[in-house]
Amino acid sequence: MEIWLDTALILVVLLGLFMTGSNRLGAIIQIFGLQSVVLGIVPFLMYFSKIEIHIVFVSLVAIVLKGFLMPYFLFWAIRHVSIRREVSPLIGFGTTLFLSGLLIAGSFILSSRLVFPGPAISDFIIPASFSTIMMGFLLLISRAKAITQVVGYLVMENGIFLFALLLLEKTPLLVEMGILLDVFVGALVMGIVVNHISDQFEHTDTSHLTVLRD
Amino acid sequence: MLFVLIVVPFIMAGLVFILPNKRTGILLFIATALFHLSCVISFWKETPQAQWQNYLSLDVLGLLILSIISALFVVVSFYLIAYLKKEEDRSVRLFLICLLVFLSTTTLVTVSRHLGLLWIAVEATTFFSAILINFHRAPQGIEATWKFLLICSVGIALALLGTLFMAVAATNIKSLLLEELLSHASSLDVSWLKLSVIFLLVGYGTKMGLVPMHSWKPDTYGEAPGPVGALMSGALTSCAFLSILRVGQICHQAGQMAFFQSIMLLLGMLSLFVASIFILGQTDFKRMLGYSSIEHMGILALGIGLGGTGFYGSLYHMLNNAFAKGLMFLVAGNLYRQYKTSRAKDIKGVLHSYPWTGVLLLAGFLCVTGFPPFGTFFSELMILNAAIMGKHYWFAALFVLFLAVIFIGISKIILRMALGVPQDKSLDHPQHESIYMIIPPVILGLIVLMLGIYMPACVHEALQTASAIFEGQ
Amino acid sequence: MGPTISALMSILLHLSVILVFSPFILGVIGKTKAFFAGRWGPPVVQPYYDILKLLRKGSVYSTMTTWIFRAAPMIAMAAILAAGILMPFAGLKAPVQFWGDVVLFAYLFGLARFFMVLAALDTGSSFEGMGASREMTFSCLSEVALFLNFTVLALISKSLSLSGLIGGDVSLLWHVLGPALTLVVISFFLILLCENSRIPVDDPATHLELTMIHEVMVLDHSGVDFAYILYGSAVKLFILGSFLISIILPFKTQNVFMDTAVYLSGMTGLAVVIGVIESAMARLRLNRVPYLLISAVILAVFAFIITLVRGGS
Repeated sequence: MEIWLDTALILVVLLGLFMTGSNRLGAIIQIFGLQSVVLGIVPFLMYFSKIEIHIVFVSLVAIVLKGFLMPYFLFWAIRHVSIRREVSPLIGFGTTLFLSGLLIAGSFILSSRLVFPGPAISDFIIPASFSTIMMGFLLLISRAKAITQVVGYLVMENGIFLFALLLLEKTPLLVEMGILLDVFVGALVMGIVVNHISDQFEHTDTSHLTVLRD
Repeated sequence: MLFVLIVVPFIMAGLVFILPNKRTGILLFIATALFHLSCVISFWKETPQAQWQNYLSLDVLGLLILSIISALFVVVSFYLIAYLKKEEDRSVRLFLICLLVFLSTTTLVTVSRHLGLLWIAVEATTFFSAILINFHRAPQGIEATWKFLLICSVGIALALLGTLFMAVAATNIKSLLLEELLSHASSLDVSWLKLSVIFLLVGYGTKMGLVPMHSWKPDTYGEAPGPVGALMSGALTSCAFLSILRVGQICHQAGQMAFFQSIMLLLGMLSLFVASIFILGQTDFKRMLGYSSIEHMGILALGIGLGGTGFYGSLYHMLNNAFAKGLMFLVAGNLYRQYKTSRAKDIKGVLHSYPWTGVLLLAGFLCVTGFPPFGTFFSELMILNAAIMGKHYWFAALFVLFLAVIFIGISKIILRMALGVPQDKSLDHPQHESIYMIIPPVILGLIVLMLGIYMPACVHEALQTASAIFEGQ
Repeated sequence: MGPTISALMSILLHLSVILVFSPFILGVIGKTKAFFAGRWGPPVVQPYYDILKLLRKGSVYSTMTTWIFRAAPMIAMAAILAAGILMPFAGLKAPVQFWGDVVLFAYLFGLARFFMVLAALDTGSSFEGMGASREMTFSCLSEVALFLNFTVLALISKSLSLSGLIGGDVSLLWHVLGPALTLVVISFFLILLCENSRIPVDDPATHLELTMIHEVMVLDHSGVDFAYILYGSAVKLFILGSFLISIILPFKTQNVFMDTAVYLSGMTGLAVVIGVIESAMARLRLNRVPYLLISAVILAVFAFIITLVRGGS
């Protein structure tokens, strides 16, 4: 079982990597959906020996909400956007890829320094979660298109969700649901705002939103 | 009772959704706000029962902030009668629904005793306030909404990470209920606790508007309509401050108060510094209020960071600031309705054309900059006292310097707006001002005045109990 | 027979195996592409006919070229064959192995590439020069990835000899270090595509000089020289492919014939996969190729990190 868990976690990080290197909006959203689905399977793999209804429920909700509903909704939000190709990121693709590699290495180093009290189910969970958070953050700050920034935020939340899985047995169901729902509603609101942006400005390039300044 | 208090605004929001008439919507809104206020007043007399296995319960800190929220909502609800007069039904409906849910979620923040539930509530407030910002449907409004959403969402995500780290630190305690954490605080893992505190302070500090996570504040407060600005700067920032205070509580019990206070000092001084620089030369009235909000949040952080009488001063200042800002933003709403702009140079001679608004403008100016006999003066004095008593002379000196600079900046804008001759000839004689747009800000101003001149015994007691939470070991 | 003679015999056996089987791979690739295009295509043994045809032809040399132009194809072929001697195939052990021969392996290919580039520059034509510069740029990145992959494998097998790296023990570690090895395989496959100028890095069938990389470098060679170049690229593909197959397929059964059969089917499978990729994908824009190679580097780095973390337990 352990090797499947490792594979899933590594796949999550790799998908995050592909996202930072991709320049097509559609591809980014689809990869995010795939990453969420893989992430939804991780609780099963982690708690294989002690499955309860609570864990199954969290997995299912995560897969349905983030793996299918969210991408569908994001595609709806950009249906008016005719140009689906992202402008080059602020620091260029090569640098972004290189930086992602550095961040992944950095997360591994960082997590080797943190001593996790209690049973750490796999050596890869904390590094994978930190890497995903950092790559989501990188995606958020280095891209100009509004939808990509939303996806970056969602990837960050994916990473945080992965970290939260370590505490799944102790966290009450209510809190898990609340977190998932909050993220979903957040993405909803963001999608609506992106829609407004594209209606107002006929593009979703946030580098043009510079009217308010001191 | 607590559960009812959270759910009723939610149900009312549903009702407003079903009934499209603007009038009924506003009436429902006022009814909800009054109901909320009456519940809160009853809580002052008798603490309500804890509910949901101690997930929801009201302590004195929560009660203080709940009162702020309730009072602001009632005042704003009456203000909206006149403010929303010319708006169309559909946008008013969305506005009221979001405001009601906002009331619900901020109430949830004050009563939640579980750190996870607290996070959920704060995150929920972010989204619903975001929808409220772009009420006037301007392109800059969208820009402000986008920046607010993105920056606050990232901040809140970091706060979630901090909450998770706290859960890791509390592995032996196996619960994130505040009661459990406080009673077993000595068994918290120190390194994970410190990591968690940093992330929580950055995350909730973003909501509060502390530097360097403040960049959304001037834009958002600049574009949001007056009443929304009043609620955000009064209620929302206080909720964020409450979350930070909860972190402080845990740190205090775990013996890490010095660590917590040093970060608060740093954030407080930075906020004061940045606010003072950017207030000089502001051209937009509401943006200036945004920076003023950053300044006051800095003062709150400074108070907590200094300790001693600073705790009392900080909580006292929180009360004063909420109502003072509420007053100022409602005045800003008035000015927007009257002059159709919030650019300071387009507004002149307010005292002449709209005498009541002019007086309120000047009164608000005195409140916000900390002039006696308004409460803000006394709370700032208390914090200054804490600095000097604690032998932090440099902090005291810088504090006074920044306050002086901010005073100069604000006075330049406001005095120019209030005094002088109106530009437009048609505004030469006093215009009509709706009573609903005058009485609510007057009430808020009177509250700040009362807090300064004569503080009710129950409030004083509450503040003392609250500050005692942080003192002593 | 003395040890020297048996060593010589084993080298000759190794070389003949390589020389006999490598054009076959090219043939399979061509057949697969034809199949995808709905044609019958040339027979699988077509590359052999091509090479024989070229060997019978005469060469034309430009007056601008020097001895480098004439010598380069031979040197390249020799270097590649020398690298082949270091490489163990199924059942056959490598005739030459010593500690650190991985480095020699990589740099023999580098030597071959170096002389091809010199020959291209020697012609003085701008087309060849353009191809040469592109080739060198991409090889910089692919060598980094190659060495990183070698590092990961060395970490796993604790040996710096090519025979040790893929001696067969590596395949058995799949169920422990599966993810890391998968990453190494993917990364190495990308390097394979780059080194052998396959799609998506370069199109071997293009006629547009501005889009060629490898093809344009050898534009001026003809006759026997061109035969050597064609043969050399076939051998290179064969050698790198068998490295990849050794990682993917375990062949330590005791039966030599079983091993060889598995190995050959693996190579054929690899050729089919390359053919499928050539038919299904288009060539990447030139400025996107570095990103592909950087991805290969990052995959190798990631595999390295995973091995460090997992290998400790």
